[in-house]
Amino acid sequence: MREKTKDLNHSSMKRHIGIKAQTHISNTAIYVILVVMSIVWLLPFVFIVLQSFRVESTYPVGYVVPQKWGLDNYINLGKTDFWHWYLNTFIAALATAVLQTVIVLCMSYTLSRFRFNGRKALMKFILILGMFPGMLTMIILYRVLADLGLTQQNALPGLILVYVASSGMGYYVSKGFFDTIPKSLDEAARIDGATRAQVLYKIILPLAKPIVIYTILTAFMAPWGDFVFARYVAMGTPSGYNVAVGLYSWLTIDQINSRYTMFCAGGVCVAVPVAILFMCLQKYYVSGVTGGAVKG
Amino acid sequence: MASVKLTNVKKIYDKNVVAVHDFNLEIQDKEFVVFVGPSGCGKSTTLRMIAGLEEISEGTVEIDGEVVNDLQPKDRDIAMVFQNYALYPHMTVYDNIAFSLRLKKVKEDIIYDKVTKAAEILGITDYLLRKPKALSGGQRQRVAIGRAMVRDSKVFLMDEPLSNLDAKLRNQMRAEIIQLRQKIDTTFIYVTHDQTEAMTLGDRIVIMKDGYIQQVGTPVEVFEMPSNLFVAEFIGAPKMNTMKTQLINEGEKYYVTPFGAKIPVDGEKAKMLKEKGIGTQEIYLGVRPEHIVMVPEKSESTIDCTLVVNEMMGSELHLHVNTEDGTPLVVRVPTMNLSAEERDSLHAGSTLHFTFEGKVMHFFDAESEVNLLVDGPAAPTESDESAETAEPTETVEPTEPTAE
Repeated sequence: MREKTKDLNHSSMKRHIGIKAQTHISNTAIYVILVVMSIVWLLPFVFIVLQSFRVESTYPVGYVVPQKWGLDNYINLGKTDFWHWYLNTFIAALATAVLQTVIVLCMSYTLSRFRFNGRKALMKFILILGMFPGMLTMIILYRVLADLGLTQQNALPGLILVYVASSGMGYYVSKGFFDTIPKSLDEAARIDGATRAQVLYKIILPLAKPIVIYTILTAFMAPWGDFVFARYVAMGTPSGYNVAVGLYSWLTIDQINSRYTMFCAGGVCVAVPVAILFMCLQKYYVSGVTGGAVKG
Repeated sequence: MASVKLTNVKKIYDKNVVAVHDFNLEIQDKEFVVFVGPSGCGKSTTLRMIAGLEEISEGTVEIDGEVVNDLQPKDRDIAMVFQNYALYPHMTVYDNIAFSLRLKKVKEDIIYDKVTKAAEILGITDYLLRKPKALSGGQRQRVAIGRAMVRDSKVFLMDEPLSNLDAKLRNQMRAEIIQLRQKIDTTFIYVTHDQTEAMTLGDRIVIMKDGYIQQVGTPVEVFEMPSNLFVAEFIGAPKMNTMKTQLINEGEKYYVTPFGAKIPVDGEKAKMLKEKGIGTQEIYLGVRPEHIVMVPEKSESTIDCTLVVNEMMGSELHLHVNTEDGTPLVVRVPTMNLSAEERDSLHAGSTLHFTFEGKVMHFFDAESEVNLLVDGPAAPTESDESAETAEPTETVEPTEPTAE
């Protein structure tokens, strides 16, 4: 009997080692792949950061590590329209983040909690509408903005209007999250004397913190990185540029040789705040993206 | 502290599913009313209509004489305890209880007094600074009750508050609710599917099935005089034995003939049958398991049965037996009255003789299933179209609450 137990222990131990070894090998493989991917991902950033500190020349060169280091490129940014563009972008992104978050969260709460005629039809309609590429609307949107006088030097309010206008359509993730919060909490709060609005910001939003942060971040990121539409609406008027359009204008044939390293410095300035924001809010962002599926 | 009156209240879902039919009930001030019935009978829907969480399709709900149909839940001055507690997970116990008071902009020191007083009554003072997830089920339920208590509202609604608790805790909390009721003297409406809770807590019980009220009465009334077969089987555990049989009228005397036996209906019951002018007819005979007596000798008035299962409950035995034609019956036998030998002789397959007295019999019409001794027509059910025209409101009239 004792022999048998010993055998059993022995074989289970062997299997245990086997599993351990297997995990070890597969982990190593995964890490190797991840490291390679990270390097591929990070190389362009490293390249841009290094170029932004190059002061011996301002045109594109065939090497990566600068021969002479300095902050001239960053200092020179102040002599251009760069900070104006930067401010344009920041205002657009901030306004969009605030307005879009409010609209998306209200929309999501409404679709999650209220049952009204045409609710399903509306959701399907939005789903189908969302399948058309946004680019299709560009010409007509430009026409509308032009008629409203919101292009060129007035591009900023025009851009905010367009960014925010259709934001209610992005309700899916947050509605999914709200659906996982028990309805009886709403009911309890309503009986406790809360209005619907109070239910939303006193009960639902604190519980949906990850999704609120996710919504703010995505709403902030889209205008921050927009190029195509911003360029279109500004129509060649530098005061209406956002930072992406402005920086791109430095890459034209006649400017690239004098502005290339400054372009790199500008790129770093654009990336840094967003990178910091993401690092701080990463844990919420991850649980926000995955939060709709399983209640955290 | 208020009366609640429901008049012809109806709930229709999706234009054709009727969840609650013509619900009429008047709940007195400070009365404890229990809605009980199997799941899907409309009891929770009715409660939620009173709370304002469901729209009222037809009819009116009045609280303290004021029609509240179009009032938001927050304006109805009600408190409610939910089955799943519905505590706000991001707030501490203190904040949970204080939530409604803060919304009312009550001063913090008054809130403090009220919350600590409620916590003391419920024995949760030590947990006031914890979050709900750090509490056990029973403690959470206390917090939920505390949250409802501090409101000092007109009506206290409870929607199956104990069904998430384990059996032992449920018994304990049930006793606490009875005590609580003496401390917070207000109108209670309590929903449950558990007939024990209904019997022990309620001043009056409203028994529902398929959206219709089957009977309204005190626990004693519904137990002793169930208005129909459904109520008879629903109230009491184990449920009442029912058997289809003949009621025979010979002059002044009545007999029932279940499974070949001939058992006389004596005393009060016979007198009542006579007064109603009931003749020989087919009936459902109902006898509660505790009213069936085991006798040693076979006679004209005994039913012979074969023992199938013998459940030892401690103070009593539940004997599951089959009659000669295979009809299952349940008999409760107190162990106190049995000698050890008798108890040991009760094993599956043994033949036993049972009888019962006339005074414990319940008689139900074989077709309408209505109690022959109860006035008024049947409470209609969905399967019973013919009865629907017979003014269901009559049985629904609230009986006077007994003085207790």
